[in-house]
Amino acid sequence: MSKKEKKQKKPKIKVGKLEKREARAGYFFTLPWVIGVIAFLLVPLAQSFKYMWYNIRITPNGMVYNFIGIGNFANIWHEDPEFPQQIVTYIWQTCLEVPIIIVFALMIAIMLNGKIKMRALFRLIFFLPVIIVSGPVMNMLVSEGAATIPSMNVQSIVAAFDVFFPTSVAESIGEMFSNMIMTLWYSGVQILIFLSALQKVDPALYEAAKIDGGSGWECFWKITLPTMKPMILLNAVYTVIFLSGNEQNTLITMIESAMFSGTKEKGYGYASAMAWMYALVITLIVGLFALMLGSKKDVYDKKVKKFKREQKKEERMKRRVIRRGERNAKKIARNQHKYTTYDGSGDY
Amino acid sequence: MRKNYWKKLAVSMTLVASMLIGAAGCGSDNSGDTNKNTNTNTNSNSNTNTNSNTNAGTDKKDDGNKNSNSNVTVEAKEVFGGYKVTTDNITLTFWHYEDETTVDYLAEKFMEMYPNITVEHKVISDMSTDLSAAAAAGTFPDVFEGTDSDTALANMYWADITEYWNADPENKNLMATINEYGIGMFDTSVRYAAPMMYWPSAVFIDRNVIETLNLDMPRTDWTWDEMIQLIKDATVYDPEMQYFGLGYYNRLDSLYGIAAVSKDVRQIKGEFGFNGDDFDLQYWAIGEQQFSDLKLAGYVAPQQSTQEMEDWTGDWDTWFGATGRVAVFSEGFWTYQNLWGTEGYQEQYGLDIVPYVTPNVIDEKEHNVISTMYMGGVSTSCKYPLEAYLLLKFMGWGIDGWNARLEIYSDPSITNASGVPLKNSQMPMPLTLDEGVWEGYKKLFPQDEDRKQYWDDYFSSVTRPVPYGWYSIAGYWNFCDQYFNSIGIHDLVDNGTAKAADYTEEATRQANYYHADAMITYFGPSGYNVLTDAELAKYQAVVDSFLD
Repeated sequence: MSKKEKKQKKPKIKVGKLEKREARAGYFFTLPWVIGVIAFLLVPLAQSFKYMWYNIRITPNGMVYNFIGIGNFANIWHEDPEFPQQIVTYIWQTCLEVPIIIVFALMIAIMLNGKIKMRALFRLIFFLPVIIVSGPVMNMLVSEGAATIPSMNVQSIVAAFDVFFPTSVAESIGEMFSNMIMTLWYSGVQILIFLSALQKVDPALYEAAKIDGGSGWECFWKITLPTMKPMILLNAVYTVIFLSGNEQNTLITMIESAMFSGTKEKGYGYASAMAWMYALVITLIVGLFALMLGSKKDVYDKKVKKFKREQKKEERMKRRVIRRGERNAKKIARNQHKYTTYDGSGDY
Repeated sequence: MRKNYWKKLAVSMTLVASMLIGAAGCGSDNSGDTNKNTNTNTNSNSNTNTNSNTNAGTDKKDDGNKNSNSNVTVEAKEVFGGYKVTTDNITLTFWHYEDETTVDYLAEKFMEMYPNITVEHKVISDMSTDLSAAAAAGTFPDVFEGTDSDTALANMYWADITEYWNADPENKNLMATINEYGIGMFDTSVRYAAPMMYWPSAVFIDRNVIETLNLDMPRTDWTWDEMIQLIKDATVYDPEMQYFGLGYYNRLDSLYGIAAVSKDVRQIKGEFGFNGDDFDLQYWAIGEQQFSDLKLAGYVAPQQSTQEMEDWTGDWDTWFGATGRVAVFSEGFWTYQNLWGTEGYQEQYGLDIVPYVTPNVIDEKEHNVISTMYMGGVSTSCKYPLEAYLLLKFMGWGIDGWNARLEIYSDPSITNASGVPLKNSQMPMPLTLDEGVWEGYKKLFPQDEDRKQYWDDYFSSVTRPVPYGWYSIAGYWNFCDQYFNSIGIHDLVDNGTAKAADYTEEATRQANYYHADAMITYFGPSGYNVLTDAELAKYQAVVDSFLD
């Protein structure tokens, strides 16, 4: 056993009865989640991964698998032009909508965190769409035109953006404006997350800043926003996932319809290939937001860390000097015993 | 501490239990959604039973009693061709698109005829979704009717019923095209499906509009050109509210394409000039262009929920059929029974609607008519195919079934869940030519001397149905999905951006390819495997020439 391994080995501590019981209770608590993940996530994930390489017919007498390799992907790209088109539209819209939702949610959260009358009622109002507007209700509202602002001239907006951007980008922006109300309805959960983060900010920081003459605007940029940064990333990821998986998403509808399509090209295999491609795109978008919003250490943090590192180094040096001194002292003492003088005093 | 432990354990166990119950709920079978007509008959050795069926549609509480006929004993009943019905107590599941109450009654009548058979039925909401899910879950129905034959054939849902069909004498007396064109055989030698529900397309005329505009009513055996002329003549500007010549549900190109040429020139037995072997879209193109020209020239009334409708009537939601300002309607047959024929409707909107024979393009007395025609079949997983075939026939084209239907359609007190008499709820037209059935059926329509002749003429003109492509042509949906609808040909021609003739050649090539490809997939070695080598080679040649 090497010296390093010896150092790493921790002493064995016998787990007590109480701890065992608590561990069991913990496992019980996590059991629903574990079962859920296995049954509804890992198994379907593995199945869909298998399916995407096959053309699958579901006959009344069982499933008939026909291995086609990348055939489903080829069909999607060659014969189903709508899917790639929708993927591009989805990327554009997500990249446009996520910042809007985040900024809107942050603004509302800051307002709701202030001292206003009937604060609880306003919080309820902004969270209400999350509860009420579940899938089917949202579909009905959208079909009734409730998600649009009638007085907003979307055509003019598209025409204006068309001058500066390619038509597809201008249309995506127009689409976003035409669904503005729906976009804002999607902000309920994000508002809640921001609100809880705002309430965690230490009031002493604001107090200290104000004593030093900091304005509200400066407090927001120097205290609120840096503190909220991890929550912004969390909300961005949540928003991307929400926008990607809700029932208004055309790609979800396409995958669902391909899954239950009885035509010979489509079915479970084709839908699985679509779903995996879509999942890859979502992962890339999430990765993009993580890169943009992931916490980067600021100069102050870096300096503190450097100072701590140097402090540690100095301490190590000090310890080394002390150890060396002790060693030398011992050495001298040993030598004194070894080399005795003629008179036995040890002084030369 | 121990108290806390038990508390935690109880909470965690409750959570696990609730999740498992939830999961069990997700995976439950469809039996909860299925109506079960229960038969409480207990007589033995007799078919003349004292049946005390309860109607599942009116008393859903009986649903739990799934196999209440399990103790019925019957003698083997011979039906046709020496076939005998099983004496086992069995349950057959039937999935369909009909009014639930109508099928409740029909199932009851069927079980009176076969006391050892219990019928469970369910209304299909979406064919692909419902049947795919049922196939995956192993709960596939024994008998079902479908609106999309490609789905059924691609997944081998339908079993071969040729033997029963050929042995059944009733099938000799059906509307001519069913056997002549092999509707339900999909251009093979095997019968997989049979027409179940039939609604011919129809042309209706509002006599009040014709009278107001001082026009003459056309002759009942009119031609296509006469209809077009009437549409033009009846489009009149009125400062109060304009009159339009045509209001449409069925596009005129569908009507035209079926009856465009004499059968000596081309035997058209499907949409897009399909003759059983290949397509020829030149006939469709003429009808499509003519229809587009009428629309662009302002002869066609706006559709519901459009800006044009609001501009015309002042109300976005108005339906042109309720304006009293449209002369000719190209509609579904059901529109009369479901709307115009309901009590007080015509009086309320100032209408006087009569049916007209679908005009003949080439002035031939006997011609085909495009139709909505649901196809039904016995599923490949069914364990009792003979009994399933009998149920299929009863629910579709059979004389016994139609006699049962006439009973319930004639009684206005029998209503569906919405309170509508059953004859006003998607009532189809008989496919049998049995005189008794037709006599009873005609009585369900206006009998006054003024209108009766119109109806008699109409009924005698719709005896050669040709179904829309998605019911009867393999690969039709693939062609529409991948080519026709994906480039939006109807819209391009309708708004004048393109001419229909521009697409004739390429559309014909594409349609032939998708049909041939589907034939190989559905009926070749990877499917039902019923094609001969020569047939396979023929279809393969079409596919190869397209891909080259």
